[in-house]
Amino acid sequence: MKKVFLLSFIAAFMVALFGFGGQAMAASSIVVAVDSPPRMMNPHGDDSDANLSVMANFFDGLMQRKGSDGILAPALAMRYEHPDLLTWKFYLRKGVKFHNGNPFTAEDVKFSFERLSDPKVSEFINTGKSIASIDIIDEYTVVIKTKTPIPWFANNLHQVYIMDKESTESRSVGAVQQVPIGTGAYKFVEWIKGSYVKMEANEGYWEGAPPIKKVELKPIKEPSTRFAALVSGQVDFTSGVPVELYEKVVKNPKLQVINRPARRSIFLALGSKPGSAWEDIRVRKAMYMAINEDEIIEKIMRGHAAPAAQIPDPPTIGYNASIKRLAYNPEEAKRLLKEAGYENGFDITLTGPNDRYVQDEKIAEAVVKYLAKVGIKARLDVKPKAVFFPEVFEGKLEFYLIGWFDGTFDMGRTYFKLIHTRDKEKGFGALNGAKFSNPDIDTLLEATASMVDQEKRKGVLQYINKLAMVGSIACIPLHYQQDIYAIQKDRGIKFQPRPDRWLVFKEISKQ
Amino acid sequence: MLRPCLIYSMFTYIVRRLMQGIVVLLAVSLICFIVFRSAGDPAVSMAGQYATFQDIEEVRKVFGLDKPYYIQYIRFIANALQGNFGLSFVNRVPALPLILERLPATVELATCAIFISVVFGVGLGVLVSLKPYLVRNRIIMAGSLFNISMPTFLTGILVIMVFAVYLKILPPFGRGETVTIGFWRTGFLTWSGIKHLILPAFTLGMYQLAVLLRLTRAGMREVLTEEYIKTAWAKGLPPRKVIFKHALRNVLIPVVTMTGLQFGELIAFSFVTELIFQWPGAGNLLLISIFEQDQPVIVTYVMLVALVILTINIIVDILYAILNPKIRYE
Repeated sequence: MKKVFLLSFIAAFMVALFGFGGQAMAASSIVVAVDSPPRMMNPHGDDSDANLSVMANFFDGLMQRKGSDGILAPALAMRYEHPDLLTWKFYLRKGVKFHNGNPFTAEDVKFSFERLSDPKVSEFINTGKSIASIDIIDEYTVVIKTKTPIPWFANNLHQVYIMDKESTESRSVGAVQQVPIGTGAYKFVEWIKGSYVKMEANEGYWEGAPPIKKVELKPIKEPSTRFAALVSGQVDFTSGVPVELYEKVVKNPKLQVINRPARRSIFLALGSKPGSAWEDIRVRKAMYMAINEDEIIEKIMRGHAAPAAQIPDPPTIGYNASIKRLAYNPEEAKRLLKEAGYENGFDITLTGPNDRYVQDEKIAEAVVKYLAKVGIKARLDVKPKAVFFPEVFEGKLEFYLIGWFDGTFDMGRTYFKLIHTRDKEKGFGALNGAKFSNPDIDTLLEATASMVDQEKRKGVLQYINKLAMVGSIACIPLHYQQDIYAIQKDRGIKFQPRPDRWLVFKEISKQ
Repeated sequence: MLRPCLIYSMFTYIVRRLMQGIVVLLAVSLICFIVFRSAGDPAVSMAGQYATFQDIEEVRKVFGLDKPYYIQYIRFIANALQGNFGLSFVNRVPALPLILERLPATVELATCAIFISVVFGVGLGVLVSLKPYLVRNRIIMAGSLFNISMPTFLTGILVIMVFAVYLKILPPFGRGETVTIGFWRTGFLTWSGIKHLILPAFTLGMYQLAVLLRLTRAGMREVLTEEYIKTAWAKGLPPRKVIFKHALRNVLIPVVTMTGLQFGELIAFSFVTELIFQWPGAGNLLLISIFEQDQPVIVTYVMLVALVILTINIIVDILYAILNPKIRYE
């Protein structure tokens, strides 16, 4: 009798505990799982896309990038003028209010841009330091002068968010890191680190109130858990579906998968260090031709990548459609090596991150094997990104795998970083870790900075691109990644992925 | 009552242990510092993607990373003594509050895990020891071996797949709704919080459960052959009394010690479980900090955990002396 009672008690307890499975979601709210959590609520403190993506909902820049094409559009600035190479004049939007009720004025713009150069709170030091002066003409007009001509200055302004001067100065640094006060489409509600960020619609948003009223952003780092959260219906939508789980997600009838070519290209940086075997362009060409990129895409990326022939992607200024990949041809590679006097190969170390890009370590492993087939003895050296990137900056690598995309859609800025000869004085070539150098490219690149005619500049950049990729094989491009999202089919979510992989919730709607 | 000489010897023992503890903490901090400092240059990622060489140099200066390692270390210790463990390189906020904010989640998870492992470990251990040759009990013993050898990672993913994805009775990740009492954010007070706790606590406690089960079984089997147990049976006492009052009580001493020691370990090594279940605890923070090379957070965390384990060990030692008068500290 006692036993029966106990059992029924346990049964009742279980029912009570598990009976309320599956919460019903209100029509205008959304729960999203992301792979990388935001690190802080300070919009200038972290220039990673994971953080900028979250900040884009709380803050606005002077400009913004819209929709699936990432077109530059006015935001807090109605329009801008660029009267000479150094001057940028912004006409600000009137009647915009911060979430705390403070009006948005030229003072806030000046304050925000000045804040960029403080290393304590900003990772945009480079942008901050490039500004010579910020002058307030009137409450809604600001003139920014740069120290040197920066053709892509306006193209970068969707990432530079405007903060409220009054509340940022009056609050402690710690409070500013925790609670964002911006002009954005969403107001901050709560952030429990490692659990969620909650936000609610800003009904007085200058572009009109966003359709989704409540957003809950949940970081789930472990891919299989993210998958479980999606399949069990706990989240509406997730970004960063890993290629290993792709087939499973596609097969699930409740889920819809959205693919989009990513802007990021993966390439192998290869220098032209004097005295090395690969100083000879024939050797670089042989290495290029020895790698079977189609097989990498098919076997390692499981089809989720597109072959690349250059670093920039098609919408970038400077992309040159006439550049074609060198075809996979190990025989020709061997012939070239023989011609260059390296019939018996040579030693080289391939370095790369193992926690940064899709399948980064496996790609590097494959490259080593392809090179071995033509007699080049490559040693594999993969490490965490936190160790790898400083080595790139120090310029002590000879051959490494890295990925890149330029948030400004401007190849000029990218190539100053990656291809220009390392020059500590001028600050060029900081990410040219294998010390590639071609004086012709340097001269041309420096000349583009002061070109007034943008069409002409574009033409020269395309020429430089071809010179670097085909004329001197500055690197071996591999592929463009693919961004993969998964959405619950029956919840009526309308979503178009952005080129920068940001989740801007004002662009998402739900029936 | 404790005898005065025991109290005196215990006092000197504790002082000695505390001094050892300080040396251990210093050593731990030094090793951490050297390991993570030589692993990479944090200034590069702190300066942003488009930083120039000068920008990086400036960041180094602002955060004191341009000084030689030994000066950085001395500075760190001097500040740490005042309770200031430095700014996180990644979040740019003080490291200690960052960890303390996450600690309640880890403590609750570990407490629950230890609770599950004690209840099931001791319970099953007693059950198995009574009739060791039953097929059912042999299966339990084999299962406990399986538990000891199965990596937490696999256990976690398996229970998520079974209970969250296929059966859909428990949530796969997170902490659910929480209630804040003062500085403590607890998940114990809501249904959602308790539901979210079950799978990760079970996963975390799995190994300990198996260890306690085997320990209890071994102890019980030994004690059950003792003369006084035979006497108890002979007196005609009910089995409940013989097993729990006479036998189990004597087995519990090593079990309590083990449980205490394991509690510290559970807190220190919960990060795998926390990663799989996206549990917002300190272990999860540690893992992210290691990936991001956030040295102040890593060093602070390791020192904090060392402190917790040291404290628990000392408390266990004292308890042991009180429980078992045969122990002498000399």
